[in-house]
Amino acid sequence: MWIEVPLTQQGQWPKGVRLPIIISVHHQSEEAAVVFGDGQVDPFDFSERQYGGRRGAWRLLEILGKHNVLGTWIICGATVEKYPDISRAVKKAGHAIAGHTYEHEMMCNYPPDQELRLIRKTVQVFQDQLGENLKGWRTCFASHHTIDLLLEHFDFDWDASIWNDDLPYMIEGYGKKLLEIPFSSYSDAALAIQITNPMPPTPYGTWHSNTPEFILKAMKSQFDALYERGAEKPVLMPLTVHDFIVGRPSRSLVLDEFITYAKQFEGVVFATHDQVRSWWMQNYKQ
Amino acid sequence: MAKEIGTISDARWPNGVRLPVALTFEHQSGEGVPLLPGDRPNAMIGGAVQYGARAGIWNILEVLDKLNVKATFFVCGTTAEKYPDAIRAAVEAGHEIAGMSYSFERIRTAHPDRERTMVRKTVRVLEDISGARIRGWRCPDYRVSPQTLDILSTEGFAWDSSLLNDDLPCLFDCTGGKLIELPFTTSTADKTYVGYPYPMRGGPDGLANVWQSEFEALYRESERTTRFMILSIQTWATGRPANVRVLRQFIERLVTKNDIQFARCAEIAAWCNSKN
Repeated sequence: MWIEVPLTQQGQWPKGVRLPIIISVHHQSEEAAVVFGDGQVDPFDFSERQYGGRRGAWRLLEILGKHNVLGTWIICGATVEKYPDISRAVKKAGHAIAGHTYEHEMMCNYPPDQELRLIRKTVQVFQDQLGENLKGWRTCFASHHTIDLLLEHFDFDWDASIWNDDLPYMIEGYGKKLLEIPFSSYSDAALAIQITNPMPPTPYGTWHSNTPEFILKAMKSQFDALYERGAEKPVLMPLTVHDFIVGRPSRSLVLDEFITYAKQFEGVVFATHDQVRSWWMQNYKQ
Repeated sequence: MAKEIGTISDARWPNGVRLPVALTFEHQSGEGVPLLPGDRPNAMIGGAVQYGARAGIWNILEVLDKLNVKATFFVCGTTAEKYPDAIRAAVEAGHEIAGMSYSFERIRTAHPDRERTMVRKTVRVLEDISGARIRGWRCPDYRVSPQTLDILSTEGFAWDSSLLNDDLPCLFDCTGGKLIELPFTTSTADKTYVGYPYPMRGGPDGLANVWQSEFEALYRESERTTRFMILSIQTWATGRPANVRVLRQFIERLVTKNDIQFARCAEIAAWCNSKN
């Protein structure tokens, strides 16, 4: 069991930081592809998503590099094994790396012992393949045990699996502390596509995409609102993009344009979860 | 079993061609429309799709003809049987005809014999009607079976375009020899933006936005690396007047650039082959 630790001062960012933006690149490629009732992975969905590992992730890495901004790459263990080159390039470029389960398992459907086994397996893959000691974790489908397991069995600095707040909060349990850095529902997945493919997919079951224009507009709206609010209160903008969604050429322009747009504003800082954590921890000083 | 040799990253397009653009039209007349409970035909949606065979393809052929652009048409065998004139007109105008099943068979789990019979039948019907040789294929529901590429290779196909996982053509080693895969994407598919009963997110302006964005991104990238652009277009969706206007305007913008080449899939596959 864990408890939330209250702030010891009013939450604030370091001087000069008005709006930190955390770009999370979900690098999961085909891991979450739809599986049919007969056990076969949907070849269409698989192929559409596999683009992420083969191409999309590289394109996103290039865009971040072009703008000279760092983000957090949230990567599935199996994806690291299948496409190690991109993970190595990501690490070399200085981005933060976090675990995203092994094969994008919906942890809410797993008993705690299996979830623990899968987290362990993922942690091991990052150590073996990248020499990376995972400090951050995100599962899109957290269970009621996720936080307990992370605290009890591992030494994570932060988790970003929960969607329940605007700002980070510290939790404590099993003699350890963890910063929860919630994410926003305004991910590219929510904006760009109807990700919940019907099961079984109908003959119309395809990716119901919104236009790049629409996605960019929604990202900017979120940014504008937070920037305005940031004049008076601490704000944080988590921005999730997927290798197979925004990694596509037409939508990659959206990320490119969004970064160009946001960069013009004073006090906007593109940060990793690790940076944001170290900043926010200052608010808990005794 | 078909094995991927790899992405053809050293493909070199003909001199002066910076970015080949393949317009691929998927042409059916309602075969893919699911039946209503009790196996009753769905007249409403069926009609919306049948539109492509009755009118849409003609509207599209007119635009392509005016702008002198050659494209690839993926055709269902039964659609060619029911509406042969449009297929003949397409061939006469210099477009490529490729196969897209006989009657929208979904072969994901089909027995290889059944799939091979279906492919042969499609080829025979399309060749008889169009007089053209069929060398390319796309699965109508974009769902290949484990043996699709092998069957295509043994049936003499040069290329397939059913996968969606790359920016570049890929080379496969199949039981019948080498096969070129030209991956496409549904991220720019017209049916998502203007298709009925899809969500129609964006309408004609949205369609214009997504095609233009795709082009800009790829055109930019093609300055320093090999790229090709491929659009999946339904004759029943883009064939409608408001949408066919978007197609016309899109082509009109592109043809002002001298280094863009609209190409049939067979041409792109041949360019790949010349390097491998």
